[in-house]
Amino acid sequence: MNLLCVGISHHTAPLDVRERLWFSSDEIRRTLPLLKPLSAGESVLFSTCNRTELYVLMENGTIEPDVLKKLLIAQKSAAGKVQPSDMFMMTAGDAARHLFRVAASLDSMVLGDVQILAQVKEGFNLATELGTAGVFMNRLFQLAFRVGKRTRTETEIGEGAVSISYAAVELAQKIFDDLQKRTAFVIGAGETAELTATHLRGKNIGKLLITNRTQERAEQLAQKVHGTAIPFNSWCDALAESDIVISSVEVNRYIIQPSDIQSLVRKNRNGPLCVIDLGVPRNIDPQIKELENIFLYDLDTLNTMIDENLQHRKAEIPKVDAIIVDVLAELTQWYSSLEVNPTITALTQFMESIRQEEVAKNINRFNPKDRELVELITKRIINKIIHAPIVNLRNGQETSLTERLQKMSAIQKLFGLAKSSKEDSHAE
Amino acid sequence: MSSYLNYILPIFYFSLVWAYGKAFFADQLWAKRAKTPLLIGTLTFHGLYLAVRTIIFQHPPVTTVFEIFSMLAFSVTATYWIIELRSHRKETGYFILNIAFFFQLASTFFIKDTPVVPEILRSPLFGAHVSCALIGYAASTIAGAYSFMYLMLYHEMKASRFGVIYKKLPTLESLERMTMTAIKLVVALLGVAICFGIVWLHHVYQNAHYDDPKLIGTVIVWMMYGFLVVARKYFAVQGRKIMILSIAGFFISIFSMTIINIFFSGFHKFY
Repeated sequence: MNLLCVGISHHTAPLDVRERLWFSSDEIRRTLPLLKPLSAGESVLFSTCNRTELYVLMENGTIEPDVLKKLLIAQKSAAGKVQPSDMFMMTAGDAARHLFRVAASLDSMVLGDVQILAQVKEGFNLATELGTAGVFMNRLFQLAFRVGKRTRTETEIGEGAVSISYAAVELAQKIFDDLQKRTAFVIGAGETAELTATHLRGKNIGKLLITNRTQERAEQLAQKVHGTAIPFNSWCDALAESDIVISSVEVNRYIIQPSDIQSLVRKNRNGPLCVIDLGVPRNIDPQIKELENIFLYDLDTLNTMIDENLQHRKAEIPKVDAIIVDVLAELTQWYSSLEVNPTITALTQFMESIRQEEVAKNINRFNPKDRELVELITKRIINKIIHAPIVNLRNGQETSLTERLQKMSAIQKLFGLAKSSKEDSHAE
Repeated sequence: MSSYLNYILPIFYFSLVWAYGKAFFADQLWAKRAKTPLLIGTLTFHGLYLAVRTIIFQHPPVTTVFEIFSMLAFSVTATYWIIELRSHRKETGYFILNIAFFFQLASTFFIKDTPVVPEILRSPLFGAHVSCALIGYAASTIAGAYSFMYLMLYHEMKASRFGVIYKKLPTLESLERMTMTAIKLVVALLGVAICFGIVWLHHVYQNAHYDDPKLIGTVIVWMMYGFLVVARKYFAVQGRKIMILSIAGFFISIFSMTIINIFFSGFHKFY
């Protein structure tokens, strides 16, 4: 497999280095065509928050990885800031396995990150649009997407929140079925409050109330997350209509006391209340946890939850590895089948099976003395039909790898050879 | 033949509970794949058993407590299957089917063959009365199971434990909604069963009286569930309290069906 992959990721370089090699869509459009003159038969380039990776199918196996690394650095005018040694290089099966690991989010900074697959798809679509992704890259990336999809459906590697703000939202979702019918009340307008409010909005929270001691900041956040800013001194009213309360302010005393919650009960507000205290020092009196239908969580609880979720995700890695091995075997089998000799053998066997089938069906219509002749004639016909394609295929070995792959792939599709070879392998 | 089927049936239920348990607690793939086919298989086998019993003894198996237990196991399992089909959620099966298993186990060991059925039990009103009561009790069982799940999740979340119960069970709101739906069914069906029963009572007894312990027990159960519906709707009682009362309702139903029926019943004792 003449596959080469060069790239940079959080494993090889710190953020200030890898951000220099982040390629926008326009930059990818400018870069991919430059690879063709370097004997790159097919190529795909994509950038995500934590990585930039270039996959190249080499025509003659002659491209030096350093050439590609330097080209990427030059395209971003990052010479001196990014060194080729900051980047990694992989070839053949290792490169394919790496792509599958990326698609499965095993290589992500946050194990089980769900966004990575969409980002890889975006890169592949761009290469398809530019015409730099052909038969091989199409197959390679489709298999990578299958790995990503199977990982999501067959394992729990993406289950459970692994950030504080998301964990807060996940807890609320375990109490309430449909957040669209619920009201969330965010106290504070700092970074954590903003992230949590953004996640709540992302989950289609029905009503989002925001308060802060500085009213202006509350209004700014409310505007950003399509919420409603309310004055800090009227938070008690907001509490009465809330189902979820998230507090993240710096205070020296508890701002919500058990008596505040008990007053809600007197107002005939008996339903569950999810209270998340993200403040340090804590904003909410822990005594409220003792009250019925009140679910209080603080930073320690959320951190414990995140640790448990990460452990659970790590425990799923062997299942994902098994999927990768499975799909990698399929890629290898497919690639081998595109070699000239296996294709010729498959084509010959295909034709011979048709001949035998038809002869067997009709042989009784002939006199016994003619039957040998029928065998002979049909064999000759088949040999003559496949002679020219076989000669052309053998002569085509000198053409470029991409052309040969296209030719093999076309023949396999036309005669359904790929399908029959797959069936054979399943039967085995 | 019926007795052979009777002894095989708990094995089906045990396998079913085992598969649902393995899928819930151990996340085993074979169990996840096997549980629904096993559920359908158990229901089919149970249906066959009930049909054979009906043919052999010439009456539907609803005339003794332990016949009713078997019908109840069947109704609970069938109701759960419908819930699973409609909600596409399979996590609650272990808790509900466990109850069906114990109903069937009790039925298998204590059921008696009753070839002769008193004439009074052949009335169509009796059939309607028993059918409504049976489905009502099945709904009560399911409400009890969902309430139990609610309380488990409630306590896990209160204690900030994020284990298998937290991960696998539906949301508290879902569990409460399913409990309330089942409770409303209990109120409706037991209400109808009581009405049919009273009409039938006057039909078969000249001097009908209402001091039968089973009748009193059922009315108490019905009032208790009715109170839950009213309290939830008009007094905003929600969550844990409703669930505790629902579980209490389930146990009183079982008490009314078993202890009262066997030891204290008046006109409900037909044999």
